Amino acid sequence: MEEERRMSTRTRKVAPKMAAALASTDNRTQAALARLEALENDNAGIEHVEIHEDDDDASLDDVYIQKKQLKGTKRKTRQAKALEDARKAPRTFLELLHEASLESLPPHVPSYLRAAVRPPSSTSRRHFCTVCGFTGGYMCVKCGMRFCSIRCQHIHDDTRCMKFVA
Amino acid sequence: MSNVVVLDNGGGLIKAGHGGDRDPEVTIPNCLYRPLSSKKFLYPSPSNSEDLTSAALRRPIDRGYLINTDLQRDIWAHLFSSLLHVAPSSSSLLLTEPLFTLPSIQRATDELVFEDFNFNSLFVADSPSLVHLYEASRRPDGLVSKAQCSLVVDCGFSFTHAAPVFQNFTVNYAVKRIDLGGKALTNYLKELVSYRAINVMDETFIIDDVKEKLCFVSLDVSRDLQIARKRGKDNQLRCTYVLPDGVTYTKGFVKDPDAAQRYLTLDDGSLSQPSETEKDMVQIDDAEERKDRKRIDLTKNEFDLTNERFLVPEMIFQPADLGMNEAGLAECIVRAVNSCHPYLHSVLYESIILTGGSTLFPRFSERLQMELRPLVPDDYQVKITTQEDPILGVWRGGSLLASKNFEGMCRERPELGATPIVPKPLVASRK
Repeated sequence: MEEERRMSTRTRKVAPKMAAALASTDNRTQAALARLEALENDNAGIEHVEIHEDDDDASLDDVYIQKKQLKGTKRKTRQAKALEDARKAPRTFLELLHEASLESLPPHVPSYLRAAVRPPSSTSRRHFCTVCGFTGGYMCVKCGMRFCSIRCQHIHDDTRCMKFVA
Repeated sequence: MSNVVVLDNGGGLIKAGHGGDRDPEVTIPNCLYRPLSSKKFLYPSPSNSEDLTSAALRRPIDRGYLINTDLQRDIWAHLFSSLLHVAPSSSSLLLTEPLFTLPSIQRATDELVFEDFNFNSLFVADSPSLVHLYEASRRPDGLVSKAQCSLVVDCGFSFTHAAPVFQNFTVNYAVKRIDLGGKALTNYLKELVSYRAINVMDETFIIDDVKEKLCFVSLDVSRDLQIARKRGKDNQLRCTYVLPDGVTYTKGFVKDPDAAQRYLTLDDGSLSQPSETEKDMVQIDDAEERKDRKRIDLTKNEFDLTNERFLVPEMIFQPADLGMNEAGLAECIVRAVNSCHPYLHSVLYESIILTGGSTLFPRFSERLQMELRPLVPDDYQVKITTQEDPILGVWRGGSLLASKNFEGMCRERPELGATPIVPKPLVASRK
């Protein structure tokens, strides 16, 4: 019976961050962190959509560039342009935080890092089934996610275990 | 005196208006969005008439802080010219900025205000002190205004702060932050619904609506989990939300609004019935519409919520459940108070003010009271007040501040060619 069970033939998309997490050494924590990170996304799945849909602007730019070229300035290489774009692109808050190097401040100075509430005083934690949401008493031996019953375990194995659907 | 624009630049909503008014003139989402029907990103507008299904979003604010000034410039330009109708060059600006803004972000914001918009002068305020100011002025005889001291719990879109305020200054070394807010909760609900029912990962606006209408804070999680497990009529927590189909309904709605309120009666054990006359009135009013709405059943565009309704807001109280290594809101408050001088402790516990959109979940303050009481020493009283409008509270404080003696506090626009704007010190409050 067990080996006869049909598996879903649906193709699964794996999010880039999840793929990275899978490759790292401590899979479980990495995946958990990536999952938390995903809670701050604006749009699911596709991140950093850079669409320059302003056609008018683009054409104006072209004219401008042509004029500049007439004056004999060097034409931008593709690489230089890519570099400039990367410089101009908005950076995420975490990058800015890293740059600010708040760790180097003396300990009495209040900062973003020191304002964070520390881990809870009690280490006990409730566990909920990742499939149905009720109290999850069991843990998957492969990925460490929780489930509450055989039924939920099957669903977990089929859809979620080590797959990290994007 | 020139016109003062008060701008509460939140991660979720921009609240903007003129200083001295009671309510902000404009409240719009702080994002550009692109619905399926459009190729361009559109500006947000106060009237929510558009079809927002599967709209892609671009937000200038990440984790509470302004990171994309280009995008913010676009939104502000639209706001000032088409919605507020003000000329920045002849007005002053009162802008809220989150606590502990990084110096690089402060500099970018200053550039945006002075160089791009050419405001006359700028005053940067932090939200806890504005909330304190507003509450103190509302009750001149209350404890908040007599002791000049309060504990502002701001549970907003991007994060949650517990900030003690003393004599109108935020005690910044005692502020504690949980990295959870309305955005994370919406995304979490999105994830749960997508896994268990229908894929709604792209439907930020709709799930926001679901969260606002159906989620509540449980006072007894294990009991509510038991109830949520039951089948059929015994399950007073199950509730159906109908997704918009784009033809008859451009907005989603709760299928049976009465059922959505049933959890409120769970506490008494006996289901208290609403008075008959009142019930009849409601039924006559929208019986027709109700019938109509209940009929569309076979189409697959609706989903049930049971335990998700209270497990989602639960995360603010127990972030550990989510796998986040952070203390919950009650403990966060205790830690903030403990970082203050011991003389202040009793006053702070007695003047806790809740503000921010995420405190609008029903029973938020009751649950907080329940969790906080065992953590606070017996001889202190715990008193929690919710602002009458937690979303607009900060703006109203700003409006109040702008209405009196505002000019003296501002920083003037630097002259052209003057030395570049000095980065402001991170330590001192910027007043």
